[in-house]
Amino acid sequence: MDHNVYIPKLAKIIQVKEEVGGARAIKTFRTVFANGQGFDHRCGQCAMLSVFGKGESMISVSSSPLVKDYLQFSILKMGRVTSALHEMEIGDLIGIRGPYGNGFPIDDWKGKNLLFIGGGIGLAPIWSVLQTALTRKEEYGNLTLIYGARTSKDIVFKEELADLKSRMTVHLSIDVAEPEWQDFVGFVPQNVLDKKPGPANMIAITCGPPIMIKFVVKALKDLSFEDEQIYTTVENKMKCGIGKCGRCNIGLHYVCKDGPVYSWAELKRLPQEY
Amino acid sequence: MAKIEDLKEEARKLLREGKIKYVIGYAGASNGWMACPIFIKKPEDVEKLVWDPTCVHNLSRFLVDEKRRKEREKQPDKRPVGVFVKGCDSRAIVVLLQEKFIERNDVYILGISCENGGVVDEHRLAGKLEGKKPKKVEVGNKGQFVVTTADGKAEFPVEELLAERCLECRASFPVISDILSGEKLKRTVEKPFGSVEKMEGMPKEEKWRFWKEQIDKCIRCYACRSVCPMCYCDECVVDSINLAVSADTTAEEKADKVKWIQRSAESSENFIYHFVRAIHLAGRCIDCGECKRSCPLDIPIRFLNKKLEKEAKELFGYDVGFDPAQPSLISSFRDDDPEDFIR
Amino acid sequence: MEKILEKRSLQSWVKKLDSWTIYAPRKDENGRWNYGIVQSDSVGLDFTVTTLPPKPLIFPQREVFLEFLKTAGENQETLEVKEVLPGEKPAVILGVRPCDARAISFLDQVFSGDFVDPYYWARRKKTILVGLACLTPPWENCFCLSAEGSPHSEDGLDILLTDLGDRYFVKTLTESGDRLVNEAKALFKEPRPEDKKKVKAVHAQAEQKIVRAIKGAKKDVAAKLKGMFNSPLWDEESMSCIRCGICTYLCPSCHCFDINDEVDSASPLRGKRVRTWDNCQFPDFTMHSSGHNPRPDKASRLRQRIFHKFQYFVEIYDETMCTGCGRCISLCPVGIDIINVLHKVNDHGS
Repeated sequence: MDHNVYIPKLAKIIQVKEEVGGARAIKTFRTVFANGQGFDHRCGQCAMLSVFGKGESMISVSSSPLVKDYLQFSILKMGRVTSALHEMEIGDLIGIRGPYGNGFPIDDWKGKNLLFIGGGIGLAPIWSVLQTALTRKEEYGNLTLIYGARTSKDIVFKEELADLKSRMTVHLSIDVAEPEWQDFVGFVPQNVLDKKPGPANMIAITCGPPIMIKFVVKALKDLSFEDEQIYTTVENKMKCGIGKCGRCNIGLHYVCKDGPVYSWAELKRLPQEY
Repeated sequence: MAKIEDLKEEARKLLREGKIKYVIGYAGASNGWMACPIFIKKPEDVEKLVWDPTCVHNLSRFLVDEKRRKEREKQPDKRPVGVFVKGCDSRAIVVLLQEKFIERNDVYILGISCENGGVVDEHRLAGKLEGKKPKKVEVGNKGQFVVTTADGKAEFPVEELLAERCLECRASFPVISDILSGEKLKRTVEKPFGSVEKMEGMPKEEKWRFWKEQIDKCIRCYACRSVCPMCYCDECVVDSINLAVSADTTAEEKADKVKWIQRSAESSENFIYHFVRAIHLAGRCIDCGECKRSCPLDIPIRFLNKKLEKEAKELFGYDVGFDPAQPSLISSFRDDDPEDFIR
Repeated sequence: MEKILEKRSLQSWVKKLDSWTIYAPRKDENGRWNYGIVQSDSVGLDFTVTTLPPKPLIFPQREVFLEFLKTAGENQETLEVKEVLPGEKPAVILGVRPCDARAISFLDQVFSGDFVDPYYWARRKKTILVGLACLTPPWENCFCLSAEGSPHSEDGLDILLTDLGDRYFVKTLTESGDRLVNEAKALFKEPRPEDKKKVKAVHAQAEQKIVRAIKGAKKDVAAKLKGMFNSPLWDEESMSCIRCGICTYLCPSCHCFDINDEVDSASPLRGKRVRTWDNCQFPDFTMHSSGHNPRPDKASRLRQRIFHKFQYFVEIYDETMCTGCGRCISLCPVGIDIINVLHKVNDHGS
């Protein structure tokens, strides 16, 4: 029999970075496979991470496929497995199986302007696309990021974002004003309406809390974006990752296998079960 | 004799006047001969209601769903729901009231007395019919059960077909109701715990063998828990996640939820499940027998609960579900408690 | 091939099959039938319908995926992860109802495709299914004809037996089936022309005896359902649902599962990753870690069961994920009747 799809490969944690502290802590992990075996993922794909004894959790790969030295995952502490991951240190072993899901159709986007719209931990799934587009800047048009978090402390990839400002347009926001904050104050959809990105030759990629996505899409529609120009990712509870265990479906789509990336045109046709 | 027509008239009136949201009653099922629960919203549908010895279900179970529904809805319809109850079912409502899970004005109780009868046991009936399929079970004019099959009608004395719990029932009439049909007949039960006593008499090894074999059959479909009006907890030891988790629950709280029971349907896990459930029902189970009836593998779960009912009766003189003002078994205390440590 | 096996030779045949574990229906003290390991001298096929389908013999309620062990080494700890594939003796399941065998052919499809499930196939490839045609419906809620099956369907089976009174008409359908017959060649005789005629006749009669039916259970229902996601029907039909797992766990084609780690020892860390059955009727099935639940009520969960079986599966595999065995109807504690629900789907909007 071929490779057993349920057996994770062992991977070592080589870097842990605390992005956000407190009750909604976020950490970014870099891992390398213990036996040198790896996988080639596409932007937006996910992997099932194991903490042995605790279980598995589906996490999107936030590093670009062009980076071959490690896989990066940014993880919000949420339940049993993610809490255990947050306890882990450099050198610890986890299990990884995947990659799973469809990923973003970035090859179809060549020559287009890309608008990234993220909220909170939602920057992680689009980070791989953003990094890939930056590395291959000549293949794409203008790159713009609109990103927001609850407070300045909740912003992920703080250093990377500071660095990013010299390479592409970046609009940051926080929900409530803070004394030192120079950028926009308000919710992400408001920032979108404030910056008024035009739909011409544009693809918008948005990811964040469901309520944010809902209003970002509304804002983009107000700015005359077509449904086909808007892409987002969906999450549901997952166990197998391969479309068999039966719980993550939205209509006849298994999010783990047929998602998590959907254009708004596709998502609109599916029942609201996410 | 209990007359469903009186109660139907009352239900019709209540629905017509908009005093209740809907009525939970019994109707003829499409899948066989047993009655099944029906939810009636329109007065003209009251006609569908039936009452016969196949009305086994404890409909008070659905008051739990109604409470959940109200919690979920933004602008809930807070009118009471009407519910048909037998004696045992009414005592489940008493416990729900006692535990303040529901309020008295959440429910309009349409009581129906089993008098000297009760409900039939499917297996006993199958045994009597020797392969013939029952089509209908009725109470005859002498109180006997009249069973219709393709071959015609056959009559049986009630004792031969009654569910075991009915044979041990000490209150065959609703102890609480807004309208009652039938008489409050006192019945004398010689051995209210007869079935448990029989089991208590088994040698230890035999008892272990019996229960191991039974519990090993369990596939953890949780029908016993699901059908039980007392199993209303949001947080249950067997669930993979606490159903009361909200956006405000911290990651630590979720991560620290102890997995007392694995999902695997293995002996050890199944035993813990059934024992934990039995203990949580001590002083709460009113012996409607629905757990046993619903079990697709015929595990006699009722015995576990009956045993604890017996303990509560013998040790504390506690009778379950007769008085909504009575404190619950677990929260009551007496100076002459049989255990030292509590005094 | 087509053969005749005298009924009195059934046990002699089974006796020859000592390379296989033999499962057959056995009756318990409450009159229920279920599969169990049988010895040749206790084999009989006079059963009605088993409470549990043969599904768990191929897709067990619990199976170990892997074992993990953490050991503290001199410099650093090591983590060992070991794949655990099923290694049981090959099995023959004797007395499989055609509806249950068809359901296994659906599971075959689910556990294949882009990702092949090695645990399922390790058992499946070593299991031979010997079916028994239904001459009268084993119980009142059979509706296999509506689910595009039949009381003598051959789908998924290796052998189909038909009871001809004193003898079985034996039709082998696969190489494995041939092999099973060849293990005891001398017991099998060539069928007479009248045997063949009789088989045809009893099969045709059996179809006439099935009472319950759904019109257009595949195409019409699937088309109708497409526009019924937000119908009030789901709320109405699920009012009496108690959200137990009977309809799904006892279904021959339901296959949803959970994966969990079971820790045997915390230090050193030692344990197993196991698959267990799970089902769409439990509220925690889809509940996110955050507490958000995309299917928060009984209505959405009943809808999922119906849609998965009669809409999604039809679109993906061109089959209803239901073979009409009737278990979910006969065993539902509150009388929810899938045929009735589908009648209402058919009548919807008309």
